[in-house]
Amino acid sequence: MSGSRHLRTGSDISWFALILGIALGITSGLIYTWEIDPVVERNTAPWQLGQQAREDYVVAVALSYAYNHDLPLAFNRLRTLRPDQNVWVMVSEVACNRYKQGKTVTNSDIRVIRALEELYRPQGASGCADGLYPTPATVSVATAIPTAIPTVTLTPPFTKTPTLPIPTGEPIESAVQTPTPPSGGYILARLASFCDPASNGVIEVRVYDQRGEGVPGVQVQVIWSGSQIDTFFTGLKPEREPGYADFEMTPGRSYSVSIPGLRDTSPVVEAVPCEAEDDSGQTVSTTTSYWINFQQRANN
Amino acid sequence: MTKRYVGSLLIGVLIGLTIGVFLGWEQFPVEYKNSTISALSSQHQEEYTVMIAEGYQYDRDINAALARLQPLNQENVFDYIQNLTERYIAQSNVPFIPVMVALAEAVGRLTPVMEIYRSTPNAAPLSGQ
Repeated sequence: MSGSRHLRTGSDISWFALILGIALGITSGLIYTWEIDPVVERNTAPWQLGQQAREDYVVAVALSYAYNHDLPLAFNRLRTLRPDQNVWVMVSEVACNRYKQGKTVTNSDIRVIRALEELYRPQGASGCADGLYPTPATVSVATAIPTAIPTVTLTPPFTKTPTLPIPTGEPIESAVQTPTPPSGGYILARLASFCDPASNGVIEVRVYDQRGEGVPGVQVQVIWSGSQIDTFFTGLKPEREPGYADFEMTPGRSYSVSIPGLRDTSPVVEAVPCEAEDDSGQTVSTTTSYWINFQQRANN
Repeated sequence: MTKRYVGSLLIGVLIGLTIGVFLGWEQFPVEYKNSTISALSSQHQEEYTVMIAEGYQYDRDINAALARLQPLNQENVFDYIQNLTERYIAQSNVPFIPVMVALAEAVGRLTPVMEIYRSTPNAAPLSGQ
């Protein structure tokens, strides 16, 4: 009885078709799980970062090291980025890349290059950014002053000059990251000028969400003279409003103001002269100021 | 004959799909290699934030610090800084508290619980210009 059933079961299966089906199934399953619906990207480790993100991470490590001078900690952090590579060479490459990309304009950029160099050079690595922006400590003259005979020890490198003529608040070519705008983006909700001697040529930017509440931490970009850029963030003057930021214009210039995710054309304002009465009732000349409000749009 | 063939094929496909999905999702899942900072695990994101906070102690440039935090893609980076700082305080994560408190203070988010961890800015190695 059981023998006949066994024979019958065996005869119901085509082994060729079964194996073919398994092969097709595995292929389809892999295509689905690798291409159509791969695992969601989460819990990513530093070694999986792309080039730009890796550079950001290395810069963070270098800045951290510049503060705490904890070399083993910096080394371990860098090892998570490239476990099988000389991490100091990687740091020198990042410094070199930043130099080649022109990320040496702002004071902040210079400090980053210095921090990177402070990290990799004592470890024996070198790169194209070596010595371009020496830290003030290396120019210390405390031991050299008594020596009247010319020595080569304190000769400032000729490349130092680019760091000096950058006044604070002057136009910067920023290397900032692209912020994340809300999916619905922002619209220009208000653009109005006013003339107030107390606000001499100020752009007052306010960013609101859909409910009309101020949004701090939004990166505002102001461009003038074609390529001069300044960036700043809302919310750094919470005593005014959470989503407030301002920028002081130079008379006679025009400025384009934008934020990430702006769906409208960036408003352009001009620092033109105007006249207004001050507190004592006297008419005084000042520069026009502007209110620029951005409002978050509803998500599409 | 045909029925036997088709039946076997279907059984095989089902078995194969099960194996394929198991392999593709569990054993050999896709590994991303061009990820962004925002895709990092929360532990690494927090470590990145602490590094930026330490960097702020170094250069005292709050705009630069905020720009460096943008890749985290936080909806409200100010809230994020405040929440992380308060969590570190709640967890007594002592090594990171002072730098995070300084960062929170710089963005105007110094809450009462942070007050006692405020340190007067010491002479950070400000290699200023």
